[in-house]
Amino acid sequence: MKLYRKEANIVQVLSFPEENVEKGDYLLVEDAEAGKALIVQVIDVQFATVPGVLEELLRTFPDARDPVQGEDIDPLEVAPHITYIQDASLLICKIRATLENQTLTPSSSWLPSRSQSTVSKLSIPMLLKLVKVDGKLPITIGYTKDASLLTVDASALDGRLNIITGKKECGKSHLSKLLMLSLVGYKATVVVFDLNGEYSGLGLTSDGKRNLYYDKIHALTPAQNFKAALSQLHLNVILGILVHALHLPGTSAREFRRIWKTLKDKNSLTLHELGEAIRNWNCNQHVRDALFSRYHALVNSGFFTDNAAEAALLDESLQKAKDHGGAVVINLRNTSTIDRQIVVEYVLGKLVDSLTSWKLKAVFLFAEEAHLYLRETYWDDIVTRMRHFGIFTTFITNQPDTIQENIYRQADNIFLFNFTNEHDLDVVSRAARVDAETVKSIARDLPPHHCLVLGKVVSDFPMVARVKALDVKTMGETRLFFKEMDLPVHACSS
Amino acid sequence: MVTDQYTITATQKYNFPQPAVDTTLPRRFIELSVNSLKQVRDQTIQLNSHSIQQFSNNAYQPQTAQLTQLPIPLKPKPQETTVAAVDTSTIKIGDTSRGIIVAVRGATVWRQTRKYRYTRLGPFIFHLTEENKKDLYSMLEQAYFAADTHASHASPPLQHMPMHIASLLEKWMQTMLAKTITDGILLFDGSLTAGTFDAPIQRVKSLLQASRNNNNVVIAFSKSTTLRFNGYLITDYRMMQPPPYIVEANGLRPKPPVILFGDVYVAKLDRLGYAFRVDIDNEVAFDRKVDAVEKLLGNDFFSQGYPETLRLSHILCTFTANEVVAMQRFIAYKYGIRLINRPDMHRLLFGLFGKGEDCA
Repeated sequence: MKLYRKEANIVQVLSFPEENVEKGDYLLVEDAEAGKALIVQVIDVQFATVPGVLEELLRTFPDARDPVQGEDIDPLEVAPHITYIQDASLLICKIRATLENQTLTPSSSWLPSRSQSTVSKLSIPMLLKLVKVDGKLPITIGYTKDASLLTVDASALDGRLNIITGKKECGKSHLSKLLMLSLVGYKATVVVFDLNGEYSGLGLTSDGKRNLYYDKIHALTPAQNFKAALSQLHLNVILGILVHALHLPGTSAREFRRIWKTLKDKNSLTLHELGEAIRNWNCNQHVRDALFSRYHALVNSGFFTDNAAEAALLDESLQKAKDHGGAVVINLRNTSTIDRQIVVEYVLGKLVDSLTSWKLKAVFLFAEEAHLYLRETYWDDIVTRMRHFGIFTTFITNQPDTIQENIYRQADNIFLFNFTNEHDLDVVSRAARVDAETVKSIARDLPPHHCLVLGKVVSDFPMVARVKALDVKTMGETRLFFKEMDLPVHACSS
Repeated sequence: MVTDQYTITATQKYNFPQPAVDTTLPRRFIELSVNSLKQVRDQTIQLNSHSIQQFSNNAYQPQTAQLTQLPIPLKPKPQETTVAAVDTSTIKIGDTSRGIIVAVRGATVWRQTRKYRYTRLGPFIFHLTEENKKDLYSMLEQAYFAADTHASHASPPLQHMPMHIASLLEKWMQTMLAKTITDGILLFDGSLTAGTFDAPIQRVKSLLQASRNNNNVVIAFSKSTTLRFNGYLITDYRMMQPPPYIVEANGLRPKPPVILFGDVYVAKLDRLGYAFRVDIDNEVAFDRKVDAVEKLLGNDFFSQGYPETLRLSHILCTFTANEVVAMQRFIAYKYGIRLINRPDMHRLLFGLFGKGEDCA
C-alpha cells in the first residue's frame, strides 16, 4: 500500500489486489522519520484511476456488440502485471488519530511523507490495545473481520444513551439481548420494554434448559402477574397516565387531583372508592364524564388492582435485581396501545420514584420501538432529566426516523446494523459522535448480523463486528405462514 | 552484443494450433527480448513513454494519380467468407543511459461465422542500444527470412528501430494469415508498396504469392494518403454515385526501387463514412477484386467506412497507458531496473508554454 493523497481528514491510499483491504479496516500510515503515525479507517474502496483502463475495457467490444473472443500469447507474461495495475484500488480513509510515543491524539494536522511512509493494516486487537477500550468489565460484542474478539467495557454503557438501529432482521434484538445479559452478569439492574415478548425466555437456553440468568430474568406481563395498586401510586404518576396516556384535559385533571387528595386523606385509594368519588363529586357534568371515561379505561386495562399483594411484583423484582443483578422484562406483547402507554407511564414513574428515593442506584432501560409507547415529551425527559436520576436508556429501532434528531445528537453509543435506504442513513448520520461519510459508506454494506459500533464504547474508533451468537431462547421469531408447510412439489416448480 | 542464445521455455499459452505456422520469429523475438533486457539489469530507466507512429509506405508514393471517371458500384455479398486483418503497434517505455526500452505487439483479428476472434502476440519488450541494434535486427530478419538473400544487413537508426521491429512482426503475422486462411480476404494496414526498408520486394512478393496460393485476396487500407487528383486528395474527390463504390486510380509511377504490388482504388464503402485509399493485389483479376470488396461488405461491419476487423486489430494491438505502467512495473520487478521520473526540462523552464520534450 502507498500513501497517495491527503485532503482535510481524508487520506487516499493506493492498494493492490493481494492486500485485500475492506471497508471498516484500520490502517497505520507510519512516518518513521517523523516518529509519528496516522491511524486511518477505510470508509470506501474504489478503483484506482489508472490511465488507459477505459480503453482496455472498451476494446474488447466491437460494434457488433458481442465481446471479441480471442487468445493472448504473452510469452514474457506481462499480463499479470496489467491486471495487477488494473485491479489496483484506492482506499478512501478517514483519519481517526495520530499515534506518537504510544499515545493517541485526535490530531490530523501533520502530513506524513508520501515517499517514505509505510502503510500497513492495523489489526483490531492492536487497535483495542492502543485505545484501551477493554476495561475491567469486558463485554464481548462479537468477532471482527480478522476473527479477533471485539470486547468493550460495560462502564462505557454506564450513564450513557445508546441506540441500536438497523433494518429488519439484521440482528438488533440479538445485540440488545447480548448487552442486556452482559450487564445483568455484572449485577446491573435492567428494565426492558419488550414489545414482542422476546426477552422473557432469556433465562432459558435454546433447548429450553435453565441457564445462568434464569433467576435474574423477571418477566412481568401487565394485567397478569404485573398489576398496580392505586394506593401505591403517587399522584404525579396517575396524573401522568391520565394526561399523557389517556389525554385527560387540564380542567378535569384539576378535579381529579382534588378527588385523589380527598381519597388519600381518607386512606381509601381503591378503584371502587375512586369510581364512587367521581360519581358523587360536585363538578361539571362534562368533567365528570371525562373522568368517568378515563376511570373505566383504567379499570378495563386490568392493570390496576386493589389487592396490594398482587401489586408487589415490580417492587420485588426491582429489589432482587438491585441486590443480585437482574432484568425486569415488561412484556407488552399482547397489550393494547392505550394500555401499553399506561404501563410504560407507570413503570417510568415508578423508576423515577425509586431512583429519587435511592431505592435503586441506577437502571439500564432497554426500549424497543419506543415510539409505539413513549409520549413525545418523554424523549427529552429520558435523555436529559431521567439520565440524572440514573435511567440509562438504550433505544432499539428499525425506523431511525422515529427517534428525534436531538436524541441522535446526544447519543453516546450507536450500534448500527445494515441500512440501504438513504433516508435512514441520513437520519443516523446526524449523530454527533461520528461523521456522516463513515455511517453512510460502511453501514450500507454491512452484512446481516454485522454491526458498526460507534461512540464512547469504542473510544470513537468505529469498528465493525459480527455479533456473537447467544445460547438463549429468543422467542422473537416472526410467525410465518409457509414455515414447515409441506408444499406440493408441482406448486413450487410451476 | 547479442551473441548468446537463451533457451526460453514456451508458456502454455504460446501454442499455435496450425501445423503450417513457422514459429521461428516469435521464438527469436522472445529470446532477443529477454536477452536485451538482461543487459539492462540494475540500471535506472527514465520514464518517458510515447507511442511511435509507424511509417507509412505512402510516403514513398508519387503525389498525383488519375481517377477513372466511372465509379464501380458495389453490392454487398453475404456469402460466408473469412475476413482477417493484422496490425502491430510499438511504444517507447523509457530511456536508459545506453538506449531505449520499447515494446512491440501484434494482433490478428478474423471474422468467421459472424463472430470476431483475435490472437494477440506480445508484448515483446526490447532494450535497444547503439551496440545491440544491428545484431538484434539482423537476427530477427534472419529468423523471418532465413533463406532470403535479399534480406538487408544494414540496421536502421536507433530511433527508427521500434517501427522496423514492429514491421517485421507485422510481415510475419501477415504471412501466417496468408498461409493459414483459404478463400478469404486479408486486410492489411497501409499500402501494397514494396522496395522500402521495411518492405523488401521479395518479402512482399512471397507474402502475396502465399496468399494467392490459398485463394485469398489481399486488400490494404490506408488511413491517410498524399495522392492527389486535380489538386484534391483522391479521398476527398466527390462522385455522383451513392456508396458503396470504388474508383480506380491510374497513372501511379513510383520511383525505383519502390514498386506497387497493388492496384490503387478510392473506396467509399459506407454512406456516412469516409473514403479510403485501398490497394488490392494487382495479380488478382478485376472481377475477383470487385467480388472481394463486395464479400468484405457482406461479411464485415463498417464503422465510418473502415472495416471493423482492421479497426479491431489496430485497437487490440495498441498499448494503453495502463499497459505501459504495467510493463514499466514488469521490467522493474523482473530485471531490477529502477524507474526514475526526471522532470521535463521544457515544462520546468517554460511552464505552461513548455509543451513537453516530444513536441519541442
